[in-house]
Amino acid sequence: MAHYDDDGWGMPAAGPSRARRDTAMDVDDPPLVARAADDEPARAPRRVDFRPPPPSAETPFEQLLRHWMNERHAPDVLHAQEGLLARLLDHIKKQTDDVALLRADPDSSEDEHFRIMLVQTEAERARFALRAYIRTRLHKIEKYARYIVETPEMRERLTQAELEHAQRYAALTESHFTRAVLDALPEEQRGLDDNVPFMPPMISRPDKTRAVFAHALVQCPPVHLPDGSSMEMERGQISLTPYHVIEQLLARGEVELV
Amino acid sequence: MALPPSLRTSVIPAELELIASEQLVEIIPLVAMERTAFISGAYGPLRPPVKCRVPIWMATNLKLKKKCHIVPPDWLNVEFLQGRLLLETTRPEFSEMPFRFAEIAKVLLDIASEDFQEPDKIRSLLKDIREARQAKSREGLSKLDHSELSLPNLSSMEINEIRPFFVRSMGVLTQLVRDPAGRQMEL
Repeated sequence: MAHYDDDGWGMPAAGPSRARRDTAMDVDDPPLVARAADDEPARAPRRVDFRPPPPSAETPFEQLLRHWMNERHAPDVLHAQEGLLARLLDHIKKQTDDVALLRADPDSSEDEHFRIMLVQTEAERARFALRAYIRTRLHKIEKYARYIVETPEMRERLTQAELEHAQRYAALTESHFTRAVLDALPEEQRGLDDNVPFMPPMISRPDKTRAVFAHALVQCPPVHLPDGSSMEMERGQISLTPYHVIEQLLARGEVELV
Repeated sequence: MALPPSLRTSVIPAELELIASEQLVEIIPLVAMERTAFISGAYGPLRPPVKCRVPIWMATNLKLKKKCHIVPPDWLNVEFLQGRLLLETTRPEFSEMPFRFAEIAKVLLDIASEDFQEPDKIRSLLKDIREARQAKSREGLSKLDHSELSLPNLSSMEINEIRPFFVRSMGVLTQLVRDPAGRQMEL
């Protein structure tokens, strides 16, 4: 994977990453807080902007948290975020390596230990969120394994490793069902993918009509609602609506699920 | 098995707390620390008694080791919350609150109540606001239909609370709408 040394992500150094976070802070600082910091006496106009920051101001870790929650709430499997995960994993590894180096150094002071502890705490948080995100995907991938394997559109959304897992999982469950029960049934009842009229299909697929809470991060283009009308979500608006309505907005990162 | 059954239906408050802990809060450090690069950005330098903005998880960590005081956010004081409570009880709509106010207030009040003036008063105001808002979200259920329900200014914890019931209700409404249409098609 690429090295991020020159990004100033090394532990004690604070290069461009500091500038990056600072711009992010400017955006998501509610004006009220900024004003209070200046200790300005005229606090009268209590205009508080609690709206979410636009996605461009997010740090990679915040992006991961957003994708994690999207994945948790969406009934469907979303697009894999391989680039983001790789970047974060590299970064976690770099932080851990730096910590190991500093630890090995017998001259490091009490202050150093304290900093090491904070860096480790954060690395743990990042690892936890990463795992939680991947586990959420795995859960859905196993649930819809057969559907994923036979739908090209779904396969595209998975990473290579996830797709292999889905294929193996589908094959394993199928051979298990066959050996345990189906072999003993008459030929015509052995199918695992029958489409009986008036019955739900045997292969379970994501229920896109399930309602989700969507939180608009930007001003969104209009979408069609099931009742025939159209809706334009304003930045900051929260709506409960069926998943298929906002599916495209979510794929483009214009809304997040909360 | 990838996801324990307890986590499948909804997100749990502890997870929301983890996400909220990424937000920044002002602290007055009691120890010095050089500016340090973290995964989410660079924080510091800590130079007592100069105020500094750090993520809540770091503030919690420092506070538990008695290495900082937390400066309460501007919306977490008696005066502001009293104003919001008045709005909540006199107006039909939800008043504007930070999206993750419930999580942040809980974390900060749990670990740093001595940094607040009148923490008990703040707690009871938060509880009153919560109850006023809960009543409104229950009322919102009567406006639910199968296509869309707009919930301005609802906070993350409140959404999580009403999620299971609202999502299922909308599912039932969707089925009710879809079924007559389906039958017409067959005729």
